[in-house]
Amino acid sequence: MTIVWNPYEPITPRARRTLGAASVLVVLVAWAIVSALSLVAKAKLPSPVDVLSAFLRLAWDAQQGESLLFTATIWSVARVAAAGLLVVVIGVPLGVLMGASPRINAALSPLVDPFRSAPIVAVLPILVMWLGIGEGMKVTFLFLGAVVYLVPMVRDALQAVPSTYWIGAHDLGATPWEAVRHAVLPIAMPRIADAIIVAISVMWTYITVAEYVNAQEGLGQLIQNARRFSAMDQVFVGIFVIIALALVTYGTMTAMKKRLFPWELT
Amino acid sequence: MSSTIPPSGSGELVSLELRNIVQEYPMPAGESAGSKSDRIRVVDDVSVKFDRPGIVMLLGPSGCGKSTLLRMMGGVRPMGVKTPTSGEVFIDGVLSTEAHDDVVMVFQRYANRPDLSARDNIAFPFRLKLWRRKVSREDAKARVDAMIESVGLGAHADLRPAQLSGGQNQRVALARALVLRPRILLMDEPFGALDAQTREEMQRLLSDLYRSQPCLIVFVTHDVTEALVLGDRVIVLSGQPARIADDFEISEPRPRSSAWQRSSETQALEERILATLHGAGGSRGQVRVTV
Ligand SMILES: Nc1ncnc2c1ncn2[C@@H]1O[C@H](COP(=O)(O)OP(=O)(O)O)[C@@H](O)[C@H]1O
Ligand SMILES: [Mg+2]
Repeated sequence: MTIVWNPYEPITPRARRTLGAASVLVVLVAWAIVSALSLVAKAKLPSPVDVLSAFLRLAWDAQQGESLLFTATIWSVARVAAAGLLVVVIGVPLGVLMGASPRINAALSPLVDPFRSAPIVAVLPILVMWLGIGEGMKVTFLFLGAVVYLVPMVRDALQAVPSTYWIGAHDLGATPWEAVRHAVLPIAMPRIADAIIVAISVMWTYITVAEYVNAQEGLGQLIQNARRFSAMDQVFVGIFVIIALALVTYGTMTAMKKRLFPWELT
Repeated sequence: MSSTIPPSGSGELVSLELRNIVQEYPMPAGESAGSKSDRIRVVDDVSVKFDRPGIVMLLGPSGCGKSTLLRMMGGVRPMGVKTPTSGEVFIDGVLSTEAHDDVVMVFQRYANRPDLSARDNIAFPFRLKLWRRKVSREDAKARVDAMIESVGLGAHADLRPAQLSGGQNQRVALARALVLRPRILLMDEPFGALDAQTREEMQRLLSDLYRSQPCLIVFVTHDVTEALVLGDRVIVLSGQPARIADDFEISEPRPRSSAWQRSSETQALEERILATLHGAGGSRGQVRVTV
């Protein structure tokens, strides 16, 4: 009997790429057919070709001699980068402290954990009230949206390290901080890196929300603006560019993680 | 080396004493129902003194409280339980309640850092303030280099734990302990997870290392053969609660030949140990006899 279903079946990178490309292609073709047959109004669903030409127009506007898309992308990337830096600089040490000390964890987790399921988008009006509509509000919003995921994940990364490492270091005369620094933290690093990757990825899903308010620059503004003028093709361009940026960020950070932590747990 | 002050690890001055040690643990949830006490006595009034270098084997069925006793000697306290419940541990005649600089432990789970090479794992203690203060950078490097050779890892020094076998990982753990030249080395079933052939290699390695760097080794095992192959002194613990059921010395020099292992004298010792364990109601746990 041949095994038709094997969850552990190895798959070649080539087969994986082919299957992935095929399913994307199927969706594109279906999309093209639906819009070619005018099954859905053009104002609701632009054709793939419309979206492509909108992309080209946004990428380079010959009359004005500028690239709206490039400018918008730079703004969005800069906001994500600024908030990402804050998340790492503040969130990682906080998570490490919570993971290393049950007391600090007990004290802080009621302030952190519930916000993982808080409607962060609903917090936006409050932030606007407190911080205004400028960059501070936008970066703070992205920061809050991501840090509530990051801190618990970093904490869990430390708590997942078997206590034998801590005990061993302690027996060799390590101070509590040295035991954390030299025996627990290094082993938690790959999972901390995963936490950072998740947190930054989450920011790409929040970026448009942050940029809807006082929309002046950025991909969120581009989408908002296009919607106001019912330019659905441009809305699609904005969404695809954000997805592409998120994928590039994820791919780059995952590759960096693999290079920095090439070892496996025994 | 000065001739008046014995260097660490020369094993001339050493004393480790347990006095009336009792250990009780809270009963695991569920098991206390219907019994009158919610505490379970694991070690019951153990007093013993080791006052010279040598390999002392602590032999007993698994679960009888060997690790509990060894951790106490090393000053490693489990969280949330008073250890020992009563009794005292003395090192060099001084009451000991904390991890001691001259006492180093080797566990069955060797706890090698997965991200560091064998060499860096062996040099690990020198990342700590305590050992940086005690040992100069050059001395540390020289010790690590020499130790890598002594444990036979010369060709593997740059590999990480995942690239090493279980036996090689345990060599790393042993080397990391011995670079500190401890006067007391505590080993908790260090070879228990290894296959029979690797275990024998490691036993041979340990007796070689002991010869070049004698100290007091307290070695926990539930393997009767291991106790007879390695021990200068064998202490047999009864099953729960652990009490000292037998305590004898073996004068045969190491390495102990297979002829000696098969001799009637050795067979008699083995019989004696098994009889002690069974007589002491030790059927609760298991000991192992490897041939
Ligand atoms: N920290 C602890 N809390 C509660 N019970 C424990 C603890 N450590 C060990 N025990 C119990 O004490 C007994 C002896 O354990 P241990 O010293 O590890 O035995 P051994 O090393 O001889 O196998 C076991 O029944 C074990 O479940
Ligand atoms: Mg044990």
